[in-house]
Amino acid sequence: MGKQHVVTMIPGEGTGPEICEAVRTVIDASGVNIKWEYEDIGLDCLEKHGTLLPDKTIQSIAKNKVALKGPTTTPVGTGHKSANVTLRKVFDLYANVRPAKLIPVLKRPWDKIDIINFRENTEDCYAAIEHMVSDEVAQCLKVITWPGSYRIADFAFKWAKENGRKKVYCVHKANIMKMTDGLFLDAFREVAKKYPDIESGDVIVDNCCMQLVKNPGQFDCLVLPNLYGDILTDLCAGLVGGLGFAPGANVGDNCAIFEAVHGSAPKYAGQKKVNPSAVLVSGIMMLRWLKETEAADRIQEAMFAVLDERKHVTYDVGGTAKTDEYAKAIVDKMLVKV
Amino acid sequence: MPTFTETAKATKKKRDIKLVGVDMYIITDKGIPKFDDIGPFKCEFISNRGTKVWPGFVSPDLLMVNWYRCRFMATKDVKDADVNSFLDTLTRNGWWWSAVQKLWNYDGEAGFSKAY
Repeated sequence: MGKQHVVTMIPGEGTGPEICEAVRTVIDASGVNIKWEYEDIGLDCLEKHGTLLPDKTIQSIAKNKVALKGPTTTPVGTGHKSANVTLRKVFDLYANVRPAKLIPVLKRPWDKIDIINFRENTEDCYAAIEHMVSDEVAQCLKVITWPGSYRIADFAFKWAKENGRKKVYCVHKANIMKMTDGLFLDAFREVAKKYPDIESGDVIVDNCCMQLVKNPGQFDCLVLPNLYGDILTDLCAGLVGGLGFAPGANVGDNCAIFEAVHGSAPKYAGQKKVNPSAVLVSGIMMLRWLKETEAADRIQEAMFAVLDERKHVTYDVGGTAKTDEYAKAIVDKMLVKV
Repeated sequence: MPTFTETAKATKKKRDIKLVGVDMYIITDKGIPKFDDIGPFKCEFISNRGTKVWPGFVSPDLLMVNWYRCRFMATKDVKDADVNSFLDTLTRNGWWWSAVQKLWNYDGEAGFSKAY
């Protein structure tokens, strides 16, 4: 057994607990030494503790500096703040890293997609500054700051450099929003000067959407303000097979939370029917972040092999396996390899 | 036949509007501002880039810029003239502010968001 990591596990709601249990089974079988601390979040907490995000959960993440999180439900229009957004704010998790890579067995109409999106995660229209400025006009402030823009660009270029990526492009609408998106682009260009070995450039967000659908293989790393990032990361997930396989990480300078980006699918809760792959791939990202590369590779290889065989896959990819049966097949595949 | 614009305008409903506070946007390089009550206005929270930084827990990692939203709620019924006096006092106390946004309730419901 290698170094022990203590990780906060937040199973979330709806199908979250059964997904996270399956993912834990796989990660534990990979040989990595993780002590899991289970904590709560979401609507169930609101009923039990009167808050969507209990202090105990915050303290656990603050202590361990790394968490794996299942899906949660954000109430729409009830006045409750999203627990996810609150977590990002509390820990200043400014970089939302969302890879979109073709999984070989999922047939898609493109030969190559291997994009890493770096979405600024704390500013823009998500600063929660909204007012009814008259009885027929609502206003939302779009907040873009120099240091907020600079650090996400710096984070992206550094990630690109460390992972052998060739191109980093800024996505914006600075032709229209000259102050806000203009500042974001200016900061990006300033950072790009520090990384002369990496090709940099920019693309206007609407053109970027069209190009992504027409020829996604041309993109490498994208840096986006929060709102465009929210939309384009889902677009990219759709290109490679949907949210069921889309991992995500919310990273700050001292803390990282890894999570799937799909919802909690409460109507399937308890049926062990849903595909846990998105949380599992997020777990693989987490292992790489913890420098547990061998365990990450082992899980990824076994997962691809199980998907390729199609004997023990979930309904969304044409199979009949339950969530835990799919996980067990991955574990069995890893044990065969060992 | 009314146009779509005319039809849209005709849907406007009469709403009861009540002044309940102000959001002040303060610029300072001296950290999180502190305020005593100013007339009938009491500081309820301060946020930076949308994240609440007072009162309560602030992550030491949090990126803060020199622009704070300071929410002052009225502790009694107030009028627009009370806001003018409030702004005068704030300015006299040395605070540099970029904007003010009055906070209204519409039919008893808050017409403004909370901070995270």
